[in-house]
Amino acid sequence: MRKLLLLFFTLFVSLLLVACNGNEATNEDGNQEEADNTNEDTSDENEAAEGDVTLRIAWWGSQPRHDYTLEVIEMYEEQNPGVVIEPEYASWDDYWQKLAPQAAANELPDIIAMDLSYLSQYAENNQLADLNPYIGNEIDVTNISDDVVSGGKVNDGIYGFNLGVNALGFHYNPDVLDEIGVGEIPEDWTWEDYQEISQQAIDQGVYFDNGFQADVFFNYYLRTKGKRLYDENGNGLGYEDDQLFVEFFSMLQEQVESGATPTPDYLAQLAGPEDDPVVKGDGVGIFQWSNQFVGLEDISGEKFKMAPMPGPNVTDGLFLKPSMFFSVSENSEAKEEAAKFIDFFVNDIEANKLILGDRGVPVSSEVKEALLDEVSSSQAEVFEYIAWVEENSTPMGPADPSGAGEIISTLDNLAEQLSYGEITPEDAAQHFRTQAESILSN
Amino acid sequence: MQSHMKQNLWGYFFIGPFIIGFLSFTIIPIFASLYFSFTSYNLFNAPQWIGLDNFRKMFTEDPRYIHSLKITFVYVFVGVPLRLGFALIVAMLLNTASRAVGLYRTLYYLPSLIGGSVAVAIMWRNIFGDEGIVNLALMSMGIDPVRWFGDPGAALWMLIFLSVWQFGSSMLIFLAGLKSIPQSYYEAASVDGASFFQKFFTITIPMLSPVILFNAIMQTIAAFMTFVPAFIISKGTGGPLDGTLLYSLYLFKQGFEFFHMGYASAMAWVMLIIIAILTSLIFLSSKYWVHYESEGGR
Repeated sequence: MRKLLLLFFTLFVSLLLVACNGNEATNEDGNQEEADNTNEDTSDENEAAEGDVTLRIAWWGSQPRHDYTLEVIEMYEEQNPGVVIEPEYASWDDYWQKLAPQAAANELPDIIAMDLSYLSQYAENNQLADLNPYIGNEIDVTNISDDVVSGGKVNDGIYGFNLGVNALGFHYNPDVLDEIGVGEIPEDWTWEDYQEISQQAIDQGVYFDNGFQADVFFNYYLRTKGKRLYDENGNGLGYEDDQLFVEFFSMLQEQVESGATPTPDYLAQLAGPEDDPVVKGDGVGIFQWSNQFVGLEDISGEKFKMAPMPGPNVTDGLFLKPSMFFSVSENSEAKEEAAKFIDFFVNDIEANKLILGDRGVPVSSEVKEALLDEVSSSQAEVFEYIAWVEENSTPMGPADPSGAGEIISTLDNLAEQLSYGEITPEDAAQHFRTQAESILSN
Repeated sequence: MQSHMKQNLWGYFFIGPFIIGFLSFTIIPIFASLYFSFTSYNLFNAPQWIGLDNFRKMFTEDPRYIHSLKITFVYVFVGVPLRLGFALIVAMLLNTASRAVGLYRTLYYLPSLIGGSVAVAIMWRNIFGDEGIVNLALMSMGIDPVRWFGDPGAALWMLIFLSVWQFGSSMLIFLAGLKSIPQSYYEAASVDGASFFQKFFTITIPMLSPVILFNAIMQTIAAFMTFVPAFIISKGTGGPLDGTLLYSLYLFKQGFEFFHMGYASAMAWVMLIIIAILTSLIFLSSKYWVHYESEGGR
């Protein structure tokens, strides 16, 4: 009797499981939107009503970005009745942790905010749609330069549409610079100048900077020497001579030892960006991306100035980095509609009056023009700097290879050990090469 | 017979939701991860069978793995005894008759409830900050302040302190155990002139040993799986210099940051084996120090 019941129960369970699987199968043929558990029912209805399209869109960011993006979406929905957009947003870390399983389940949102370091990974695993067929059709590129569009290039396809550009620079507090007896950072300063001015800062008892994001600035340094961090195919490192690694990181190590850059344990102890020595006026400036300039001024309440990176060969080193992409997922059922939204996002002037360059300096020259009167004076400075970089930079080259995330983490780890003085630059250079090549060859 | 079967059917019906959930969210993923542990799997492409390669790589090619294993052992073997000792002391204090005992019990249990929250991480940043209460206390004793978040050795101690501070659940179990020790034993010992320590070592500890065994096992298992404090205190990096890169945190990074799901699954299985071995060692050792009254005090 008991066995019979058990058998019956097993049957019941397996039936249920089969039913679930069957459901999934039809799902793949039919509508993809089911994945979002918050609106399983509504999407079905939307699908039923003819002509209606539901687009899921996902991005990362902080609250102000969520707020204005939602407004832009509302604006788009008003102008395009029949299109329903479902937003999914999160912080940077959560965003990527959520996206990977969605990709594994073939349930990516239609429009996905993409970062340069993940673009290849998703594109090469056939998660993203090639945007080439839509560029010039749904997406108007008359006011956008080719360089900017090709920033989203992986192999032969465009897998992400560039939403804005950033460039590296030195953002400094002119008052503190004055205190250490330096009038201005010259536009054509070099690493020697950098070390000299650092010495003056030490003499006056202030910091000069707060360190370098290892992967970003090492890549810049390599570019000024005619190399890059990754090779063109993404199968290995883009430089052969480990001496370059040693030169760059020895310089950084010396900066920490001499006190021009705070020690890593001091930096780790800071509770947040508001405690940063530069923000508090105890340091001259920060090497960072141009879209972080406005935030730096906001948090410190001081006026800052922008200078280019130290040279020589600044032009070879600098490039316009796509700050962020919108990609369309390969599994999207409404790729044209998704492309239309991207077009609206980059070309519509009213929409960009809400965005105000938060996702990097707008790529459309017309939008940039129209925004000049709208933005704050700090934002205008960023626009101006980007315009200067446009004239004084070289193309970025291929996007980061798959596995870039792991390489960045490896390099960060070694850079940390270097600044703690736990490892010599020579050893670090060798470790980095072995580890990076084993990651990239996979 | 008919009604009997019907009755059972209802039983299965009610237990069904749990069984289905258990199968699909626990049993199936467990076996899936066992399969993945023998594969190279990046979440996007189909897993590729590579045999024992993941396990070989772990112990021969991955110094970060060995490092993370080491600090996890330090964390467990220092943290758990400290936590249990602390819990026992507080439980004994609370076991003395006092009117506000209920209030104290609640107060001391609170940290266990909020332990994993982000608010604690912020509080911890203030407590262990440059001018936090810990460093002020150290300075007032004439000791140099410590850069808790910047010194790789000190950062692990911060995690251990955090775990000791969350002694609440062990304390409650100890308290229940203490209450079940008959008062007459202590009275008899007092009549014979036993000191406090004699009573503690000859009555309290032996009588409490089954409870200590239970707590030791549960806390050891939980400590091996610690993830949240390490994640929030290091802001997800495991820094400084991998000083807080506990096993689970490294596993998470491998799986979700580097997309090495196969490797992460293999790590999870190694952890399971380590926990199983340790737990059985504790069980084996228990016959030398745990006393069950039902077995005549043996």
